[in-house]
Amino acid sequence: MPRVELAVPADIAEPAPAPRAEKIRLAGVGKRFVTRDREVEALQPIDLTIDAHEFVALVGPSGCGKSTILNLIAGLLQPSSGVVSYDGGTVAGPNRRVGYMTQKDTLLPWRTAADNVRIALELKCRAVPRSEADARVAQIIDLVGLTGFERHYPAELSGGMRKRVGLARTLIYEPETLLMDEPFGALDAQLKLLMLDQLQELTRQRRMTVVFVTHDLGEAITLADRVVVFSARPGRIRTIRTVDLPRPRDVFRIRFTEAFAHLHEELWDELKDEVARGTDV
Amino acid sequence: MSEAVRLPALSDGSSAAFARFLATTTGRSLARLLLVLILLAMWQVLPNRGLRFWMSGPLDIVVRLWSWVLDGSLWENLGATLLAMVLGYLIGTGIGIALGLLFGLMPRVYRVLSPYIAALYAMPKIALAPLFVIVLGIGIQSKVALVAITVFFLVLNSTLDGVRNVDRDLARTLSLMGATRFEVIGKVLVPATLPWIFTGMRISVRYAFTNTLLAELIASNSGIGFMIEYYSGIFDATGTYAAILVLVIMSVGLTELLTQVEARMSRGRGQ
Repeated sequence: MPRVELAVPADIAEPAPAPRAEKIRLAGVGKRFVTRDREVEALQPIDLTIDAHEFVALVGPSGCGKSTILNLIAGLLQPSSGVVSYDGGTVAGPNRRVGYMTQKDTLLPWRTAADNVRIALELKCRAVPRSEADARVAQIIDLVGLTGFERHYPAELSGGMRKRVGLARTLIYEPETLLMDEPFGALDAQLKLLMLDQLQELTRQRRMTVVFVTHDLGEAITLADRVVVFSARPGRIRTIRTVDLPRPRDVFRIRFTEAFAHLHEELWDELKDEVARGTDV
Repeated sequence: MSEAVRLPALSDGSSAAFARFLATTTGRSLARLLLVLILLAMWQVLPNRGLRFWMSGPLDIVVRLWSWVLDGSLWENLGATLLAMVLGYLIGTGIGIALGLLFGLMPRVYRVLSPYIAALYAMPKIALAPLFVIVLGIGIQSKVALVAITVFFLVLNSTLDGVRNVDRDLARTLSLMGATRFEVIGKVLVPATLPWIFTGMRISVRYAFTNTLLAELIASNSGIGFMIEYYSGIFDATGTYAAILVLVIMSVGLTELLTQVEARMSRGRGQ
């Protein structure tokens, strides 16, 4: 991307190195679940701090507590130990500052795709005039490539399409923080790249803080500022790697660069032992 | 299987033609009509004077029915039955839905009450009919009460089942978006419960109909059930059969109506 040099004072031309404001902090946060006959430790006490406008990817073998972390940040679960704080305050109930895209698509089966996307704009807390809501719905549906499917019910859409409806529904109200749990797992490779590109564009444009859970290391490196690798259950942080690839990143080509390959190899070495351990339980 | 299908066709040409005729819509209708005409003719002709007293005859029954149409007693009694049924149905449905949603939202209260509700639900409500007659008299009130309480428990239970089956994740998603409690109820709980409520309402129509009649048979002063009870009481077979015929027509009409409503509903939901 060509860089335009402008003759303006340095502090305006270079907006960034803004003070790193802490957005989310997990301090000694652990989670145990009590099932019928025994107690399962899903997450060993971990410490993790996520800055405002940062894109953090969580990777690790299945069952390592990645989704649990999102549930804790969203306030849908309470930690068994430690404190989850958001903007400096303890998260005690549903955290309404976040948009949460769960692994399961929680679309309302009796609403069409467009009406599902619109639902956040119908709520009193951000009531939007009908014409404006219509325009925003059309725009975001176009963005996720679902034009023509507005009037379809979730049951009439494929798994990948439902994921995209869920994404549109979360993006439309522009939450300051986005929690995503394997949002593109069900998409085919090409579509996934398109969605990653759009996600990068949107989250940068709107300066969102993103916590992104995935099992796809390539996806994590492509998008994230930092990749957190978790160990197998009970989950704990094995390593945190800063991805210093320049932005904006070319989602379609970055995986062929040397820097990407190097990072991928390095992180895969960390991950592969855990995957092996996680599967032979 | 194919063996069995081929055999009759091989045996006789004319019976094969008859089988083909029966397979057409007109053929089937004609065969049905013929069957009922034969039976009616036998009923009209065969019984001797002694049997006639108990069995009456098709012509007498039709004549009696026509006389009821002319003197208005048919409409009066039909109206009484329908009124009791519809009123009881509406009252039972309304209270059933309201309490079902309320208990669904207050599971702790429901858990306290549930054994009593289960016990009352299991009890055959018709046993209450004599009690209602004592308290409310033999007029329409006792029928409405019986129908209402029957429908109430059916609708209450299906509404509760519905509320309990609502996907909690849908409600959570909405409250993370900033929805108030009322918005979650209006946008998730009620629409998700609607199919269950409709199922309860559909099932209760038949119960409402049956229990209206049973209540009328036990003690009443009007209604189709009353007519059956009255004419059999005075050993008037013609009157009894004529009233039963009205009942058959009513049931067929009601079933047809339900089928239509169900078809429209399943089309309307689009899923």
